[in-house]
This record gives sequence, C-alpha cells and structure tokens, in this order.
Amino acid sequence: MSESRTHEALVGHQFGSQAAAYLNSMVHAQGADLEALAALVDPRSEAHVLDLGCGAGHVSFKVAPRAGQVVAYDLSPQMLEVVARTAAERGIENIVTRQGAAERLPFRDESFDCVLSRYSAHHWRDFEAGLREVARVLRPGGIAGFVDAVSPGLPPLDTHLQAIELLRDPSHVRNYSRAEWEAAIVRAGLRPGTVAVHRVRLEFGSWVERMRTPKVLAEAIRTLQTSMSETVVRYFDIGSDGSFDLDVGSFQAAKAAV
Amino acid sequence: MSKQDDTAGPVAAPVTEARGTRIDPRLLEILVCPLTKSTLEYDSAKQELISRAAKLAYPIRDGIPIMLPEEARSLEE
Repeated sequence: MSESRTHEALVGHQFGSQAAAYLNSMVHAQGADLEALAALVDPRSEAHVLDLGCGAGHVSFKVAPRAGQVVAYDLSPQMLEVVARTAAERGIENIVTRQGAAERLPFRDESFDCVLSRYSAHHWRDFEAGLREVARVLRPGGIAGFVDAVSPGLPPLDTHLQAIELLRDPSHVRNYSRAEWEAAIVRAGLRPGTVAVHRVRLEFGSWVERMRTPKVLAEAIRTLQTSMSETVVRYFDIGSDGSFDLDVGSFQAAKAAV
Repeated sequence: MSKQDDTAGPVAAPVTEARGTRIDPRLLEILVCPLTKSTLEYDSAKQELISRAAKLAYPIRDGIPIMLPEEARSLEE
C-alpha cells in the first residue's frame, strides 16, 4: 500500500480513539429513528440482520432482542471492540463483529433479511456502490433501513453544512439530500419505501468533542457560523454557542420479492 | 439470555463467538472475499480466511475477521 492516507485510514483514525464517546453519545444512543429502525425487524422471523457501519453498536443492541443474528460491521476495529465488549457485558449472545468497507461487503448474495445503517453513509467513499452492495446482500423481499444526516439541498445551505462537517471531521464525505437519497435507492435496484425527516439539536461542545476536533478547526467552524447569511443562520437555527439544528432522514427500502 | 425454542424448522439458533476462539462455521458460510465475492477457506491455525481467487489471506484478530484487502496478506510469491 502507498504511504498516502487512504480514506479507510482516515475514518479508522477518526473513530478508533473515540469509540467510547460514541457509545455514550445521547444523539447516537437514543431517538425515535432508532426505535423505528429496530421495528423493521419482525421479532417472530429470527431475522439475519446486518448493521452496516455499526459504530458503537446502538442499532445492533436495539435490534438484537428482535433478531436471530446480528452482524455488526464497521471499518473501525476499535469500534467493533467496543461492540463486542459491550455485548459481552450485557449478556447479548447473537451479535458478531466483522470488519470491512461498505462498498465491498464480504457477504454472499442474499444473505440478510434486513440491512440497517445509521449515521454511516455520509462516511462512505462511494455512496452508490454501498447501496448497490446492500441490494446485493439482501434476500428477495428483504428490507433496508437507513438513517443519516441529510442536506437541505439548497446550495447555500448545503455548502455551509458540508463545510462545517468537514472542518469537524476530515473523514466526512457528504451529507446527501433527501432527493439524492431517494434517487440513489432506486438506482441501486431497491424499492423506495417510507421517508421521514426530523431535526436534531446538536450541542456544539459535545459535537466537536466527540470527534476531538482540533481547537483551530472548532474555531474556524464558529467563525464560519458567525459570517453566514441570515438565511443560513435561520435555517440551521445557529445559536450563540454554535449549537444548531440538523435534518436527519430515515429511508426505508425493500428488495423486490422474486 | 434465555434459550430459544427451535421447533419451527431449520432456523439457526443464535450463535456465540467468544473472542479469540474459532469462528462459527454457520457464520462463515455467508462470508465471501470482498473483492471477488468467492468463497473463503478458514485456516484455524493461522487464524486467516483464504481467498484463492484474490490470492489473499484475510486476518482474524481477536475473533474479528478483517475483510479489508489492504489488511490482507498476499499469497503470491
């Protein structure tokens, strides 16, 4: 491998050291969207579930009691360590961990009844390839559920959001708009289902702390926020401390039953 | 966790993989090479998953299969 930093290395570095912070993050551990994702799994079906980009494992832990088997999959070995350790501590026996990239899933075609992915797709190097892999590993009639931060779409708002996300986290790739998500799901060969968008208030201090954003970059975010137009400030409801509202989209999809 | 009743048919019971121990064969069945999507051979002594098609050996560290080509060992001379 070359000496240059791969995207995988960047993501691994960003999250490796911060695994515990994610396990304890309220934004990540709670939410109606998390409940809704888990509800996609029928508890009577002994479903085989993939938690794609599991991070600290919030989806895996939520869905495990309803599933036959959960595969917690992530790029970061440290995150997977946290998942395995937490599962052992809580006596959860049906979660296993696998490490790899979203764009190249190491699973057989049609090996999952359900693929769930929360706050992960914005890190994928190739969003559409990841969605195609989801379609490939789902069995016919299988269900996918995605949750991620979405861009408002309007260019001035979109540019602001991507800019502060990148300043906070160099492994940020892109928050897609609702329209981009819906089109990509169809292009991946999945049938689009219910879409819901809700807003989450991000408290600036913990938002940058979770990522250990260097002070100079956190200050750059603050400077950027205070130089934005009224439209941007209002849309994101940027507070005097830098806290702001983020749109979070929930997208359901299904693979056609043959 | 309570034991599940498996009277409904050929549904696999939940599988435990203690860390550092061998990987359950039922879960290996769904694993393929991320590059070639071909089957893998499990080398339990070396704790590796071999992809003959890609000529790569994927390591298993602390019970976690590392399915990244850039982390794999090349099997070519």
